Amino acid sequence: MIHKFAFGIVMIAALGTAGWAAGFQLPPPAETRLDNGLTVLTLRDDALPVVHVTCLVAGAGTAYEPADRGGLAELTGRLLLRGTAGLSAEALSEELDFLGATLAVSTDTENTWLNGRCLAEHLPRLLEIMAGSLTAPLLAEDEFIKERNRQLEQVKAIKDEPDDVIELYARRTYFGDHPLGRPGLGTESSLPAIGHTDVRQFYRRHVRPDRCILAIVGHFDPAPLAARLMATLGAWRAPETPAPELGLPALPALPAGPVCLLVDKPEATQANFMLVAPGFPLGDAVEPAAEVMNTIFGGRFTSWFNTELRIKRGLTYGARSGFESWRGAGILLIESYTRNDAIGEALDLTLELLRKARRQGFADAETASARTYILGQFPPQLEGGAAKAAAYARLAAYRLGFDHYARFLQRVDTATTAEVNAAATKLLPGSGYALVVVGQADAIGKQLEKFGTFRITPIAMPGFSEAVNR
Amino acid sequence: MRRIRTLLLGLLLGAAALPAAGAFSPADVQEHRLDNGLKILLLRDASIPNIAYYTFFRVGSRNERPGLTGVSHFIEHMMFNGTAAIGPGEFDRRMEGLGGSNNAFTGEDITAYTDWFPSGGLAEMTAMEADRMRGISFEPEVFESERGVVASERRMAVENSNDGLLDEQLRATAIAAHPYHWGVIGWMSDILSWRRPEVMDYFRLYYAPNNAVLVVVGDFEPAAALELVRRHYGDIPASPAPPPVTTREPEAVAAKHVLLRRQAMTPLFKLAFRVPGTGDSDYFALELLDNILLKGESSRLHRRLVREEKLATAVTGGMPVNLDPYLFTIDVKPVAGADPARIEAVIREELERVRHEGVSAREYQKALNMRRAAFYDGLDSIGGKALQLGLAEIYHGGWRNLFTLADRYRSVPHEQVQTVARKYFNPHTATLAVLQPE
Repeated sequence: MIHKFAFGIVMIAALGTAGWAAGFQLPPPAETRLDNGLTVLTLRDDALPVVHVTCLVAGAGTAYEPADRGGLAELTGRLLLRGTAGLSAEALSEELDFLGATLAVSTDTENTWLNGRCLAEHLPRLLEIMAGSLTAPLLAEDEFIKERNRQLEQVKAIKDEPDDVIELYARRTYFGDHPLGRPGLGTESSLPAIGHTDVRQFYRRHVRPDRCILAIVGHFDPAPLAARLMATLGAWRAPETPAPELGLPALPALPAGPVCLLVDKPEATQANFMLVAPGFPLGDAVEPAAEVMNTIFGGRFTSWFNTELRIKRGLTYGARSGFESWRGAGILLIESYTRNDAIGEALDLTLELLRKARRQGFADAETASARTYILGQFPPQLEGGAAKAAAYARLAAYRLGFDHYARFLQRVDTATTAEVNAAATKLLPGSGYALVVVGQADAIGKQLEKFGTFRITPIAMPGFSEAVNR
Repeated sequence: MRRIRTLLLGLLLGAAALPAAGAFSPADVQEHRLDNGLKILLLRDASIPNIAYYTFFRVGSRNERPGLTGVSHFIEHMMFNGTAAIGPGEFDRRMEGLGGSNNAFTGEDITAYTDWFPSGGLAEMTAMEADRMRGISFEPEVFESERGVVASERRMAVENSNDGLLDEQLRATAIAAHPYHWGVIGWMSDILSWRRPEVMDYFRLYYAPNNAVLVVVGDFEPAAALELVRRHYGDIPASPAPPPVTTREPEAVAAKHVLLRRQAMTPLFKLAFRVPGTGDSDYFALELLDNILLKGESSRLHRRLVREEKLATAVTGGMPVNLDPYLFTIDVKPVAGADPARIEAVIREELERVRHEGVSAREYQKALNMRRAAFYDGLDSIGGKALQLGLAEIYHGGWRNLFTLADRYRSVPHEQVQTVARKYFNPHTATLAVLQPE
């Protein structure tokens, strides 16, 4: 049992990964580009006999899959580790395990990531395996069928966990048919529509050297590493065709009033709720002030939101808010949960806090404390090789510069209360938001009436609700 | 090849010979003990300008009794709700104002309070931590509000979670006598009826300096830190030694079966075997067996259940970290419509195979390699180092043993892996728990 929600995680998500306290720098990596366009970033760190390797494949994320092939990016990513030209799926996993190494794929909204970790002496072999996965995956049909079925089962299983599933419904409700509204796993109806050739096409189109950023952090000998890279990833030929554009369609216009969805989960003894409102794109100038604002509102344990719902009233175990940002768009998520009979009270309090923050803003003492908090919490978030490798890859992919966090922290440090209050007025929603509740409709429906007109969808219904016209 | 030169140049900067990497050694750790029994471990690590300040108490649900189940976890929450010196919530407010954050966790055997803050906050944090070890106020109104928070946490983690509910049933069925019978969160009726005076007595007995280990890792001067600790903790009185937990779970004699019917999209499946605690001579062999059966995609049960038979999307679980005998659990996430009897048959087949044929030399070596690599993951941060030192102190007979854990695995003879499989994976005394969707 743990005491608190992990508030820090919200902040990490909002910032991409994290940063460095004011006055501290993320050590800049050695940076180069291979002839095939692949970017390599390295940092030697001898603290442990271990190396972390991350490869970010920009644009191989869920938002770039065809609209009628939901789950394709995730599925393609998983298949990268299901056998390569030199290793069967079984041999690949056995060898990684035998070395005590890890290599995992994850796909998010915009990118696919390969994350590996090994003992220093096994780095050459890990790089070979990783290069095989990227450059010559088998993408075999039997593995495709196995993995697609497994993903389908995971879509069903996630619906048994309201905490995990609510954001999928919330993003779908907020973004509608826009690519940012897609669930990465796909849905019960989109997955069966994916064919084996779709995977091959998606791979060919999106997994290419000029879209890869490789970051290596840890205990390694540089000269042999360079040779090894040339022999593996260096030999990967970039396609003749230009890489597909990165960028998302314009967002649909915001609704004037709240768009509300109630996901009916029979037997639920608690009701989860999530508000989604407009945020800001990655790298936006408002970010430092917005993060200070969010820290005060719902980004840490003593925030207004957690104080009101948890500390003062014991209505919930946790109440929090945070930003998520992508290329060209972002959102603010405000979430908590409470027992069935208190959902009306919890929502009333939430909306009242939003009104109060917009109306009266925050005090100087609050912004000072929040600034110190963000600065003090930064260094641990970039501790360790895995965190640094991920940060390098992300900063390079979004062209934010390796001094991005230093600049961000400097601007946090100097953010004025007026700037923070302006961010509150701009970003805390008045009435233009999506509100999703997951709970037992019979027990909570009546309490919800005053908050808007709720469409009701049974949780067992395939997908994560139909798109709402926006 | 023009661009590659930059790469070589970049990589060659500072390339000379590759020195041996190493985390830290026992010589880097200072051990002290105050007169009141508080044990202190200090490790200076200036890799970031922060400090990890971890306080471990040797108390958890293992020390509770009916009527007071869940109280260790409740006290974990109440530690943030005010003392004679500072008001409810003030600990968090001051700490966040210093740029710090904290969390805490309670298990069956231990409770840990974990603080992370910039180095400049050491004096104030030491004072605040000592203040709440000295005593907390248990204001009636705050007590009631926090009771509601914990009830909400239980609803989230147990009543509202099929997996949590099945875990609780499994534990309560498999363990009859020992306090591991109930979960760390406690029974709902106890949560709703804890009485203040009993909770306060429990606090006084178990949250005393003689029952605690303080581990500080980070960017600080050890002599100055020790001086601060002495000044703030030195006069906190020791409590009488807590009573030992004497209940021993009787020998398992029966196979047990839990069947839970609930609304769910997919079934759940868990099979549990009684295994010894961390101090037992079979412990490390069982950990290696855990790797061979369950860890990684090449593990035996993952291969069979997920890859070959396609009965499951994941298989997790394994060896617990507990002082007293508890459960080795094979936790399966079945696909919708999978037949639990078939899953059980496959697992039993695989366990029989280990019992009769043992494990291959390559599997044995694989398990050793996985343990060695994973060991370093725990040392990747100042918080990780503080945690590992504290856990070794409590579970492995002293913090110095952290540095010999890798040897403990290596010294397990290959054949012992089969021996422990025979000894503990007895199908006639296992507990099976299944959730069937309605």
